[in-house]
Amino acid sequence: MMLLTCPNCGARNVSEFRYVGEAKSRPDPETATPEQWRRYLYFHRNPAGWIKETWYHGSGCRRYFGIERNTVDNAQRPAGVTS
Amino acid sequence: MSRNGQRTPRYSAWSLVRHGLGAGGEWGRAFRHHTPRQAYDVVIIGGGVHGLATAHYLAENHGITNIAVLEKSYIGSGGSGRNTAILRSNYLTPEGVRFYDRSVKLYEHLAADLNFNVMFSQRGHMTLAHNDSSLRTMHWRAEVNKLQGVDSSVIDPGEIKKLVPYMDVSASTRYPILGALYHPPGGIIRHDAVVWGYARSADAHGVHIHQKTEVVGIDVTSNRVTGVRTADGRRISAPVVVNCTAGWSTLISDMVGVDMPVQTFPLQAAVTEPVKPFLDTVVVSGTLHTYVSQTDRGELVFGASVDPFASYSTRGSLDFVEGLAGHVLELMPALSKMRLLRQWAGLCDMTPDYSPIMGLTPVEGFFVDVGWGTYGFKAGPVSGEAMAACIAHGKPPEIIAAFGLDRFEEGRLVGEKGAAAVGH
Amino acid sequence: MSRARPGGSHRLGARPGEVIDRSRTIEFRWNGVTHTAHPGDTIASALAAAGVRVFARSYKYHRPRGLLTADIFDPGAILQVGDEPNVRAAHRLVEAGMDVRSQNTWPSLRYDVKAVNQLAGRFLATGFYYKTFIKPERLWPTYEKVLRRFVHAGEVSPDSEQPYFDKRYAHPDVLVAGGGPAGMAAAVAAARAGASVMLVEQEHQLGGHLRWGDAEDLRCRDELVAAVEAESNIEVLTDSVVAARYDDNWLAVVQRGLPHVAERLVKARAGTLVVAAGLIERPYVFAGNDLPGVMLSTAVRRLLNLYAVRPGSRAVVFTANPEGDAAAADLRAAGVDVVEVDARHGRTVVRATGRGGVEAVELSDGSRIEADLLVTAVGWTAPTSLLNMSGANPGYRPDAARFVPDPAATPAAVIAVGGIAGDGTRDELVAHADAAGREAAARALALAASRAGSADTRDPVAVPQLGLHHHPELFFALPTGGFVDMSEDVSAKDILTAVKEGYDSSELVKRYTTATMGPAQGKLETVNTVALVAHATGKTIAETGATTWRPMYTPITLGALAGRKFEPVRHSPMQPWHTSHKAAPLIAGQWIRPEHYGDPVAEVRNVRQNVGIIDVTPIGKLDLQGPDVAKLLNLLYVNKWSQLGIGRVRYGVMCAEDGVVLDDGVTGRLAENHYLMSTTSSGAGTVWEWAENWLQTEHPEWQVHVTPVTTAYASINVAGPKSRELLARLTDVDLDNAAFGYMNVRTGTIAGVADCVLWRIGFTGELSYELHVPASYGLHVWETLMATGADLGIAPFGVEAQRILRLEKGHLIVGQDTDGLTKAYSAGLDWAVKLDKPDFVGKPELAWQAARGEHPKLVGLRPLDTSVVPEEAAQIISDGGYIVGRITSSRLSPTLGRPICLGQVDAHLADPGTRLTVRLRNGSDTTVEVTAEHAHFDPEGERQRV
Repeated sequence: MMLLTCPNCGARNVSEFRYVGEAKSRPDPETATPEQWRRYLYFHRNPAGWIKETWYHGSGCRRYFGIERNTVDNAQRPAGVTS
Repeated sequence: MSRNGQRTPRYSAWSLVRHGLGAGGEWGRAFRHHTPRQAYDVVIIGGGVHGLATAHYLAENHGITNIAVLEKSYIGSGGSGRNTAILRSNYLTPEGVRFYDRSVKLYEHLAADLNFNVMFSQRGHMTLAHNDSSLRTMHWRAEVNKLQGVDSSVIDPGEIKKLVPYMDVSASTRYPILGALYHPPGGIIRHDAVVWGYARSADAHGVHIHQKTEVVGIDVTSNRVTGVRTADGRRISAPVVVNCTAGWSTLISDMVGVDMPVQTFPLQAAVTEPVKPFLDTVVVSGTLHTYVSQTDRGELVFGASVDPFASYSTRGSLDFVEGLAGHVLELMPALSKMRLLRQWAGLCDMTPDYSPIMGLTPVEGFFVDVGWGTYGFKAGPVSGEAMAACIAHGKPPEIIAAFGLDRFEEGRLVGEKGAAAVGH
Repeated sequence: MSRARPGGSHRLGARPGEVIDRSRTIEFRWNGVTHTAHPGDTIASALAAAGVRVFARSYKYHRPRGLLTADIFDPGAILQVGDEPNVRAAHRLVEAGMDVRSQNTWPSLRYDVKAVNQLAGRFLATGFYYKTFIKPERLWPTYEKVLRRFVHAGEVSPDSEQPYFDKRYAHPDVLVAGGGPAGMAAAVAAARAGASVMLVEQEHQLGGHLRWGDAEDLRCRDELVAAVEAESNIEVLTDSVVAARYDDNWLAVVQRGLPHVAERLVKARAGTLVVAAGLIERPYVFAGNDLPGVMLSTAVRRLLNLYAVRPGSRAVVFTANPEGDAAAADLRAAGVDVVEVDARHGRTVVRATGRGGVEAVELSDGSRIEADLLVTAVGWTAPTSLLNMSGANPGYRPDAARFVPDPAATPAAVIAVGGIAGDGTRDELVAHADAAGREAAARALALAASRAGSADTRDPVAVPQLGLHHHPELFFALPTGGFVDMSEDVSAKDILTAVKEGYDSSELVKRYTTATMGPAQGKLETVNTVALVAHATGKTIAETGATTWRPMYTPITLGALAGRKFEPVRHSPMQPWHTSHKAAPLIAGQWIRPEHYGDPVAEVRNVRQNVGIIDVTPIGKLDLQGPDVAKLLNLLYVNKWSQLGIGRVRYGVMCAEDGVVLDDGVTGRLAENHYLMSTTSSGAGTVWEWAENWLQTEHPEWQVHVTPVTTAYASINVAGPKSRELLARLTDVDLDNAAFGYMNVRTGTIAGVADCVLWRIGFTGELSYELHVPASYGLHVWETLMATGADLGIAPFGVEAQRILRLEKGHLIVGQDTDGLTKAYSAGLDWAVKLDKPDFVGKPELAWQAARGEHPKLVGLRPLDTSVVPEEAAQIISDGGYIVGRITSSRLSPTLGRPICLGQVDAHLADPGTRLTVRLRNGSDTTVEVTAEHAHFDPEGERQRV
């Protein structure tokens, strides 16, 4: 089982976390066109390589945090906490 | 079947006997090596069942044979050779049911059509319901299926026990079995044989299958595809390029700048050592995220839902086999002494509405047949048939009209998302 | 039952390294005949000692098969033991009373009818089933049944007793996979360097190949074992195996041979994994190579030196290495006539012949030697599975005639030692392992320190590089004959044929012929298969490459993977009362709830007429505090929350960003900055995480504290016209309609319990109060309500009555009347959606949905034939048979005496008065009419406002 490093708790089994998804910025709901909004809803960069993403430490400190992970080998490096 | 004037040796019991007696000569190659041409009419990226079936039907139904299928590894090395080979058509939406029903129908005659025994075993497929809401969904599917003429009904625990004597249908379990959606035409097939059968037929029609040929770039001029570039430094011209990949569909589409509503997740599977046949039906439990069938070799083949996070890694996890074993023993407790032999993983391109993306794209000449999630193998023949028609006529046929890429930006998602469950 | 000849006809006198206890004799049965064994014997060694030569029949051709490797990978000795299939009989120790049977035989091992397949073999060539049974299509199911009869395996029984399995976690600094000399040396060195060590050995004793070696080997073994035993921080697991390595050195260790535990899965997170799996001897491919009596040199030495069994009386030893020479010497010392065929002098074996076993051996020079034993020692396979699973793919080295791992490609947390890493003398290998063990400890301790936040200050240990000894490349005899994969009955000819047919890579050959897919997963077969593919394609073995080794290293029982069952359920504090009142249990996610107490219809009537109480504890409850709670509510719900006064309650709907209904519930304002939110039972966890997600990622500046209090409170809904009268007897809260009206919240004391929350809401459509009382008093309040309300006709009601009551009232259930695509307007929630709010989750999609207006709608439906209750999920169809909607909820209303429904219908069919056709489950049709309101009963809501 992969270890994931929570910025609060350190390296923990990935089963303690919930995967939230690629980090995305939410378009302004007042001005977004349907196309922009649906790209936010449905489209993903989905690279084979490094990606910024959000995880939730549900069985730990319950923080949402950002991390960078390589989707090919699951290597990780810290990213700025999204909050 | 002719091949450049030469007859391909036909497979039959009689030819097998003649070969056995030494009178048959060589069987001949089922698929050959070729030097790539500089130009093809159609370049198909991905030598799995989708790519090869598309090539087969382009040749068979539309007379287009100047085709290259480019496969970065060996044919069937991706999802086609890693799935659990379950076929069914008991979907939730009318468009889904019609589409997969056509696929099952094509599969039923595929052995004869391809002169290659794909060993389709229509042994029946049951999806268990462990709670009220999943039982309601099973009824929903059964009613939709019946209206589309697909054999599908909800059966009770007594009937389940008759079909699967090893099943624990007692009420005292943690996840009691309340009923099941039973689908007699569903079953399992020899997945590799489907790949080889299509490859052999395509080859006989003159299609070039280039294995160990990775596409590293796609050339586009004035929003029109002009060809592909391969890892060994070749440039192959083609006015039509088809993305028939799974796992890598985002990366291929990125080469022409077409964004995809796709996320790639590993899907794991496992197989046990063989035991004498005792399980004649495919058993699926959405609640327990498990499906199980027994092959003609006696092995139990297990699968589950996709991994909990997106990744291109196919290394697999212990959690998966632990959960799987627990759930299988929940259903069939007598199997605890059976041994798990091997586990593996494939890559699934998940879309937001659990339906594929098929047809044209904003780049002229660039077609996609991707986003196959966990249900791509089932759809191999119908996808090949429909994509061939789409390429030949330049517009998607009715049967895949709902699956266009434009539906996401337009907010017209397909209703299979209505009751998301383990899709096997 | 017959008795066998006295056991031990092939048993030798005492051997220095033997592992059997001659002082005791135990009995077991083999195909119905009683045999004897000594403790320490494997099933196979005991049978071999008794002169048994044939253990099984092969898969396709039903050829007799005997011992080949005499270890856990032996394809010839896979047997049924009692109700356990596929037992590795050359590994499993004999136990008294064991019932051992051969598996693939009918009617008996000696006279196997399917052996006629040997004659038909020329027609059963590889892939034959792809080429036949194609037409006529209708006969394929019959052919398939015949094919299935040939399944080569043991059997399970539906009612066999299931043994106990369990699991354990371990956190060793260093885990050593393999307890041979290198593994032991590495373990000792790591332990002495301060690491905690787990040493895992597949066989029943430590020592590896030293166990069947000479006096010097045995002395070395004894020293190393003594050194292991002297280290208190080495835990030794024998008869155990590291089955798989996953990300970050998460290791699956299967532990066997425990008392009372059939098999245990040890899940170990190791700092460093030391792979000391040794080398596996590779069989040689030649005609007749599967005859009983053809054995590997290691098999012969195991039998002779561990079990004191003489494997034959006249032997040919085909040797290419010192281990083969040692086998010849061991055989001679045991009184066996030996002829050596030395590959290093250019002589090879081309064929073994005999009926039911080896009788003669033919050599490349044309000579023929009579023998009942043919020993081969042609080279080794490095079982690099654990390295492959670590991402390091070994490369082929022709000079050593085997695949060898590349240390540079191996991750830092994994180190290979011993034969798998390279060649050397025993002392060189031990010295290498000693250095590697110290380095493994250093890396593990540094990793632990860095995880604890300290810097890595260690000095790396210099680990010497092991060389490779020259070994001739010997894979198969030409012209090729014999079997490449004995488990799968795949011959060399099958491989060559497959390549000619176009299956010309290792992977395609594997899939087409099934070579390497049997029980040993290629440990004996892969390299020979690759060598044949290379030969057939004209490529080198290195270019051809091997297939991927995948978990498991050796198979693991489903029982051990599953472990004990831990499937927790949740009960409310009132469960003892429900149980003693014969509540029918309903499984609702994790919760077990009362579905009814015998008669749900009576329960409905009692709520409408008197007063009923229902346990609604599973309803999700979130305590929200802080100055910005209203902002959060405005964001999460589609309706408005800014004006909610203190003491007021409001119903709210949440949508996801795609506008699809996510959850619903009521939220009440208890104080200026204090709210209590309720959610659906199944949505409790989701909504909590949803709220946290928005607070933490989008609006960290908002001051809101969210605390889940679902199980801190027991929740009871008191419903019915007499609920006020009942509650007035038990609370200090002023229940007068003017003081505590509909959709209000109060806090107070109930039945003597302080700090209760009372909501005046009405899911059932009756005057009702939802009580949230501190959980530990839940049962007390429930029982007090029942006792106090006896004269008012109080009765409990369950989930089924509640479903009927809410359907009469037309309240939707999220997930039943909505699905994964139902947006708020399709759920008939137009009145709730406030598009004039500046922002809320899902607003853009809802705005576009409202503008387009073409969406399906949830409507009330009234069946015209009052004797027909359409089933839930029944489809609504058009004249042409197209699906235009479906029934989402349906019941016979006890209050109205007629069927009532909710359903989703296409937009153009949603107008009140529209008549629609419903296809019933029995295939007949019935007509329903769209009603003006969702509510079938009291649409004005007068009853809940009294």
